[in-house]
Amino acid sequence: MQFICEMSATVKTNWVLRVLTALFLGLAMAFLCNGWGYSAKLFPIPLVDTNFISTATVRMSAADLIRSGGDTSDFECYACHERNKPFKLKFDAEGDVLVPKEHANIVMGHGRHHRNNNCFNCHDETNLELLQTRDGRHLKISDSPALCGSCHGPTYRDWEAGVHGRTSGYWKRDLGPIDRKVCTSCHNPHSPPFPSRQPAPGPHPLHPAVDGKLIARSES
Amino acid sequence: MSDQKPPSAPPPFGEVSRRSFLRNSAILASGAAALAASLAPLRELSNYTSVELFLQKHYKELTPAEMQKVLDRIAREVEQQYHIRPRVRDYKPMDGVEFVYCLNLTRCIGCRKCVHACVAENNQSRNPEIQYIRVLKMPHGSLDMERADHNYAPASVPEKGFFYMPVQCQQCKNPPCVKVCPVKATWQEPDGITVIDYDWCIGCRYCEAACPYFARRFNWTKPSIPKERLNPEMSYLGNRPRRQGVMEKCHFCIQRTRQGKYPACLEVCPAGARKFGNALDPESEVAYILKNKRVFIQLKEELGTSPRFFYYFDV
Amino acid sequence: MSLRTKIRNYFVFLWRCARIAFAGDSRYYAWMGFLSIIILLGINAYAKQFVHGLIVTGMSDQVSWGVYIANFTFMVGIAAAAAMLVIPVYIYNNKELHDLVIFGELLAVAAILMCLAFVAVDLGRPDRFWHLIPGIGKFNFPGSMLSWDVIVLNGYLLLNVHICGYLLYCRYLGKTPAKWFYIPFVFLAIAWAVSIHTVTAFLYVGLGGRPFWNSSIVGPRFLASAFTAGPALIILALQVIRRVTDYHIHDRALLTLRSIVQVSMLINVFLLVNEIFKEFYTRTSHVASSRYLYFGLHGHHALVPWIWVAIIFNLVSMTLLVLPLSKSLRYLNVACVLAITGIWIEKGMGLVVPGFIPTPLGEMVEYSPSLNETLVCLGIWAFGILCYTIFLRMSIPILQGRLSRANEGLPDVHLVNAR
Ligand code: SF4
Ligand code: SF4
Repeated sequence: MQFICEMSATVKTNWVLRVLTALFLGLAMAFLCNGWGYSAKLFPIPLVDTNFISTATVRMSAADLIRSGGDTSDFECYACHERNKPFKLKFDAEGDVLVPKEHANIVMGHGRHHRNNNCFNCHDETNLELLQTRDGRHLKISDSPALCGSCHGPTYRDWEAGVHGRTSGYWKRDLGPIDRKVCTSCHNPHSPPFPSRQPAPGPHPLHPAVDGKLIARSES
Repeated sequence: MSDQKPPSAPPPFGEVSRRSFLRNSAILASGAAALAASLAPLRELSNYTSVELFLQKHYKELTPAEMQKVLDRIAREVEQQYHIRPRVRDYKPMDGVEFVYCLNLTRCIGCRKCVHACVAENNQSRNPEIQYIRVLKMPHGSLDMERADHNYAPASVPEKGFFYMPVQCQQCKNPPCVKVCPVKATWQEPDGITVIDYDWCIGCRYCEAACPYFARRFNWTKPSIPKERLNPEMSYLGNRPRRQGVMEKCHFCIQRTRQGKYPACLEVCPAGARKFGNALDPESEVAYILKNKRVFIQLKEELGTSPRFFYYFDV
Repeated sequence: MSLRTKIRNYFVFLWRCARIAFAGDSRYYAWMGFLSIIILLGINAYAKQFVHGLIVTGMSDQVSWGVYIANFTFMVGIAAAAAMLVIPVYIYNNKELHDLVIFGELLAVAAILMCLAFVAVDLGRPDRFWHLIPGIGKFNFPGSMLSWDVIVLNGYLLLNVHICGYLLYCRYLGKTPAKWFYIPFVFLAIAWAVSIHTVTAFLYVGLGGRPFWNSSIVGPRFLASAFTAGPALIILALQVIRRVTDYHIHDRALLTLRSIVQVSMLINVFLLVNEIFKEFYTRTSHVASSRYLYFGLHGHHALVPWIWVAIIFNLVSMTLLVLPLSKSLRYLNVACVLAITGIWIEKGMGLVVPGFIPTPLGEMVEYSPSLNETLVCLGIWAFGILCYTIFLRMSIPILQGRLSRANEGLPDVHLVNAR
């Protein structure tokens, strides 16, 4: 023991230095081989479906259809109906209007209390291609907002101010036009509640957790 | 404890000193080698910065000519990376304009389209994912955000018994993020938009800690945007691609709104829940809302941040 | 003495100090080698972070600060604690601690260097550090607490470097230091020590959107815990110095420090009780972070075991410290180790992380440091310890008179047999 202690300090130092040299070299190798690797691994995130970034409205209004040259056959009433022939509605025992099978695509869902159950509340029975308000105005199908507004006053007022419904284009009108959608661009007049839809994907965390344990990406 | 020994005589020339010389150089060389090798990861460094970028001045100190150079540099960099020639501009605020956003909680259906339209418009990183808008699903009757669900994924929305509240930068009148930034890399513009100079931010993330609305997002690594989704209409303070290590956030689509257009999140909202405009213009939609709607929520009003983002309800 | 000789002497002094840092016995080399290896690991990990970004850490947008800032906060406290050695010496004229002041201040210097390193590795764009330099960058002063912090930390560094450097150099020259050239700085440094910690506390306190931090008790608690952990660390460091060198340190000095730790610890625990009462008795919605920290929230409880360990450590340490038992060094050391660990956890993980959980929008995202992040932290710790070792290696022979102007040119005794 005594001997080792006296084993000159230089020898001991030499030993330490030799070991350190070896350790440094080993470390250098490990660094070069990336011994503690960060693998730059990212968990794949699928690109979002472009439907979710489309600015299309949920449906087409008559005006939209006419403008875009779409199928307007629905609005050509006298292709089937006979002009000047009075039209009789039929009701079931509950007082709900019976939708003829030619119009099976129409779901009568306007209003919650079976009160808005008469086609001619809005359609003009003397000219099916027109709309009529309760105060007796006759309107073209493509002018529907005025008709809707005749009942939905506050909403119509908001819409006129650009506050109800969709807008696009320019907030600053002297730099460009505002494009204001109409009621029927979003609401089906026969069944106006806004349709539900599939939500776009939610957020992906930076460090995904598996079984409640965080995966730190540095562990390759 | 060693005693003081008399100094040993200096070693004679020859063996010992050569050995100690070898020994010393060996340890120094191996140490230097280890140091050099420890920097090996830097081999993978590419396009981290450039001399121009490194020396670039703060946004507010750039002369118009210098700004033009910077915009050219950015265009060049984008073209190099994406092979698309972008249009990079620096839009200035308009006089007499203070932007305000109003969001109708009665109308929002929680479809998250705004989130993704924003990502597309503003060239946010797709992986890792950066999104400026968070939509919270909340049980009816409560604004307690601790009860919010961020990750809802039902087959369809809206769900019964819940309402949805999208949150993004509230463009505070009294923004805590601006106050804390140590290098003035983020500030409030005259039109009310709080912007970030992505080329000045040092990435300390103090602003992210200060924001009471979880509005700020950090580039934890190099952002990635698929080439086909790149929006080439860019602006300096807005949607130009960011670099690793800087902060970003909603800027009310500065590249659109300063040209008079609506922001992307507004245009994509299927429910028309989002309204935007100049609060100083009495004819604007937002002025109408602030005048005619009865209840507004400014999130966390008690913090005194005074958001320019108002949540309201119909009726 | 001509100016030239003066300058020459100063450079000889620096040169001899530098040389001595590279000389020692086998234990010294082994120790330094060990630290260097850890530092290299840290550098390597940081190089990866530099390339890939802070994604290699466990941080995220939700928890945007982690162990870097936590360690930074803790080290600020250690640095501030040097003042607790200075106060008894210069204000109460305590002779016991007189020479030990230098060791405390050197510790402060090393701690500040670590603080700066911890802030530097936390930056997303380290290449833009120059934006922080007043004059050439754009300094948000006095608005941002972080810019205050940059000023007070660097100021404190300079003050301590000046005081230690001057005192040591005078020792080396064998002349009495001129009072006017350091006493004012000593007093300034005392005030400054309080300020570095207060400013660092304000860094958190100033954030209205984070109720966990936005409370006036955070500042006082910072000071109390700093003045506990700092002197406790010095007690341990002094014993290490005493063991591995032939520098004599009297037990009485350690016991003087004990009474400082004792009082600070009592205040620290008292403030903790205050905070816990306020949070849990009123039960406002702002209690969420505290609930997460102490009991877990919505099934997330990563920090719960940590904080209870910290509290238990603090309580045991406090009990030991108030009992006469801790007049024996063995128990004092236990108390110190417990206090330091307890405060490190509480200050680090317990203060920084829960401030982010839940997020301001109520999201629960937890945080745990990644391997890479941990290596960087260890590297910085090793760097700080290496600095402190070197400082001691230089200053002890000077204090002992073995390295002085008088023996310039003689064979360097200390190179051979000092440890
Ligand atoms: S919401 Fe957040 S990021 Fe936006 S201005 Fe306010 S504090 Fe800043
Ligand atoms: S992350 Fe950037 S913008 Fe935010 S405080 Fe730091 S330097 Fe300022």
